[in-house]
Amino acid sequence: MALDLLSTAAPRSAGPPPVADRAAESRASHWARAIAARLLRLLLLLTAVAAASFALMAASPVDPVSAYVGADLAAIGPEQRAQIAERWGLDDPPLQRFGTWLSHIVRGDLGQSHAFNQPVADVIANKFLTSLALMAVAWCFSGIIGFTLGLVAGVRRGRWADRVITWWAYTLSSAPTFWVGLLLLYAFSVSLQWTPICCAVPVGSVAGEVGLLDRLHHLLLPALTLSLVGIAPVVLHTRQAVAVAMASDYIAFARAQGERTLGLVVHRVLRNAAGPALLLQFSSLGELFGGSVLAEQVFSYPGLGAATTTAALGQDVPLLLAIALFTTVFVYTGNQLGDLLHGWIDPRTRRLEAAP
Amino acid sequence: MGTTVLAVTLGVAFGLVASACTAGVDGGAGGQGAAGGVVGSSSAPKELRLAIGGESEDGYDPTLGWGRYGSPLFQSTLLKRDADLKIVNDLATKHTVSPDGLVWTVDIRTDAKFSDGTPVTAADVAYTFSTASKSGGLTDVTGLSQAVAVDNDTVELRLKRPQSTFVNRLISLGIVPKHAHGKEYARKPIGSGPFKLVQWDEGQQLIVQRNDSYYGTRPAFERIVFTFTGEDASLAAAKAGQVSMAAVPSSLAKTSVPKMRLVPVKSVDNRGLMFPYQPDTGKKTAAGLPIGNNVTADKAIRQAINQVVDRQALVDGVLEGYGSPATGPVDGMPWFEPSSAIQGNDAGKAKELLESAGWKDANGVRERAGVKAAFTLLYPAGDTTRQGLALAVADMVKPIGIQITTKGVSWDVIDKRLHADAVLFGWGSQDPTELYNLYSSGSAGVGYWNPGYYANPVVQKNLDAAMSATDQDEATKYWKAAQRDADGNGFGPSGDAAWAWLVNLQHTYYVSDCLDIGKPQIEPHGHGWPITAGITGWRWTC
Repeated sequence: MALDLLSTAAPRSAGPPPVADRAAESRASHWARAIAARLLRLLLLLTAVAAASFALMAASPVDPVSAYVGADLAAIGPEQRAQIAERWGLDDPPLQRFGTWLSHIVRGDLGQSHAFNQPVADVIANKFLTSLALMAVAWCFSGIIGFTLGLVAGVRRGRWADRVITWWAYTLSSAPTFWVGLLLLYAFSVSLQWTPICCAVPVGSVAGEVGLLDRLHHLLLPALTLSLVGIAPVVLHTRQAVAVAMASDYIAFARAQGERTLGLVVHRVLRNAAGPALLLQFSSLGELFGGSVLAEQVFSYPGLGAATTTAALGQDVPLLLAIALFTTVFVYTGNQLGDLLHGWIDPRTRRLEAAP
Repeated sequence: MGTTVLAVTLGVAFGLVASACTAGVDGGAGGQGAAGGVVGSSSAPKELRLAIGGESEDGYDPTLGWGRYGSPLFQSTLLKRDADLKIVNDLATKHTVSPDGLVWTVDIRTDAKFSDGTPVTAADVAYTFSTASKSGGLTDVTGLSQAVAVDNDTVELRLKRPQSTFVNRLISLGIVPKHAHGKEYARKPIGSGPFKLVQWDEGQQLIVQRNDSYYGTRPAFERIVFTFTGEDASLAAAKAGQVSMAAVPSSLAKTSVPKMRLVPVKSVDNRGLMFPYQPDTGKKTAAGLPIGNNVTADKAIRQAINQVVDRQALVDGVLEGYGSPATGPVDGMPWFEPSSAIQGNDAGKAKELLESAGWKDANGVRERAGVKAAFTLLYPAGDTTRQGLALAVADMVKPIGIQITTKGVSWDVIDKRLHADAVLFGWGSQDPTELYNLYSSGSAGVGYWNPGYYANPVVQKNLDAAMSATDQDEATKYWKAAQRDADGNGFGPSGDAAWAWLVNLQHTYYVSDCLDIGKPQIEPHGHGWPITAGITGWRWTC
């Protein structure tokens, strides 16, 4: 029945009930149309993001050549600056540069990164793999910890557990990520020396020597820091959903039938509370990405976030544009997935949508 | 009951984290790796770990600028500077310059090999220079017109115009192998230097291994690991005993780190006050920016400020002691002329200068012909050191009747006002090209070079003579004369006082008590690894 979720684009045709194969055919066309609609939306979004990002960068007062030359200002003459500008194709007017860039993108060529002296696609592929590990763990942390705490708070509403958790959630949501990161770094890495100071792998180890445990060890603190971004909203929304469910008539009825709290939670509340939590979790991918920029900077963790900072400071237009596009696809996919899963877990939202 | 719920859900949570989430982690082969060298152990470690920042994000290709600070590690250069900045041979055995200064002939040693086993030939040197001259990277070899390998161990570098400072390219440009230089080279460098690249984890660390076929001094450490942490994390790593050397900004240099000492290294990383040199006659640059300032165009004002500024107080107060007074852009370099400096600070002399130039006191600020002795000093707003210097200087000149209004602005604003307002700049290089660019009238208004439109024909003659000299000692003689010559002409404080140089910073490093790094060179302004210039001589003493 997963197909039905996608039927927002076209209402079912009225008229005589169709025979089986015609129903399948119409479902298939719904599928196709729905996917096409979503892809079209993504395409429009990407175009808008690309144009806006490029306009912002063209309007930026930072000169890419000066940013690249930096401290070597004294030694780099006008002739050499011209060579740099030529290597990067900065001589053309902005609109023409955008056109060239766009035509390359259409052909699948993301261009060459100035800052990393490497094809943009390679840079993103390398950095994103590292970031993915970090973001995946942080995302799981924030989802699971947030949902669990929200569940506990909702079930124990008004009691001390609820008060402590709610207070903690509010504190987290008002604390800046990098600051929390620095505190954790100081506490666990410098004072206690339980966790490493930097990087995704142990200092001095060559690739073959690095085990999974090493990687997890290095991932732990940045991931924990990053997960803090997403925990608070999940806690608070889950708590609310659980509280509403716990106060409902069907819970009162089940309780009257003799069902215990654990059973109530597992059989009746979980599903209700999971919907909003999932939707939030998937729509938080954008914030996760933003948070990773800060977390990676604090922990010298070499992911896409750190690369974004480098690209922005160096006015590395091809890389920055590609990262903007990549982030858009990433966040859009997250939102769509959240939408789908929400509908699947809580069919009521699906029926509402499907109604003509 | 509530606790049961908590226990169950938490159990589920951790199970899920352990199973589902590790899917995103790329599992490397092998178990727990051997940690390598032990820092601070009783015997000399095989591995040295350094947190001195400065990752070369675009790779390790000298033709794009890698190795211009310190040692290029993987490659060797034709010449190098020793601890006293004297030029000595490296890959070269001899170099001569033709009488017209246009042809540099370099003989290279025949026993040098690239790390892939092939010998280093004159063809490789010629290839390196001609590639770098067209590369659009961070090394300026545009003075070269042609590089020719005359025979197997002799190369001729033909220049477009005489350029004595071209020697700095021979010092900083690492030689790459012609046969193995391509797109991939920046990430897989091959060279004839003291180290080989083992692994570069971008944004994290660089691991290098001693090159056993290196012809020069054999490094004491088998492996060196450079970690690319931020300043705070570098200090944290030093405190946690994870590195043997950490570069920190002087603001963080006040803490004590167990088993480490603070090593302040002299630099020509200087800060100074640039004066617009021309009077304001309504002239504008081609881009329409105003040129000139009627107050700073007066030599008496510039000299008085140079006289009254207490440079040692700036070092103590603003740099917290990590620096030295600066009287010129090249303090301590072989081509520095000490007599161009003025010693100490003398308010009386400064007042005398102003009086005799006709600047009369009127309510605390001097005036001459209706013009107040007042001007604006710009500094980049985010830079606290420059802010401190600007404010302190404004305070120091107040008692002699000069009014400086300091303004913290963006570089964008400085770019528009730098020919008409005084600006607090920072420079510093081991290459006297900078000296030329800062004071030559030909570079007036080019980028940040000579923004004040300084021009003095006598100084210009000396600068040009230094540039076209065919012998480094002769060039040095003229560089010195440009600062102050026998007749007292020069751009220095005792002459035109075109700038008021204030301080040279010191770069601060925490170094393990067991690590002997010898005598470090005077470091340039910049963000590379100047401290590594003598890395092959570093020794473990515990």
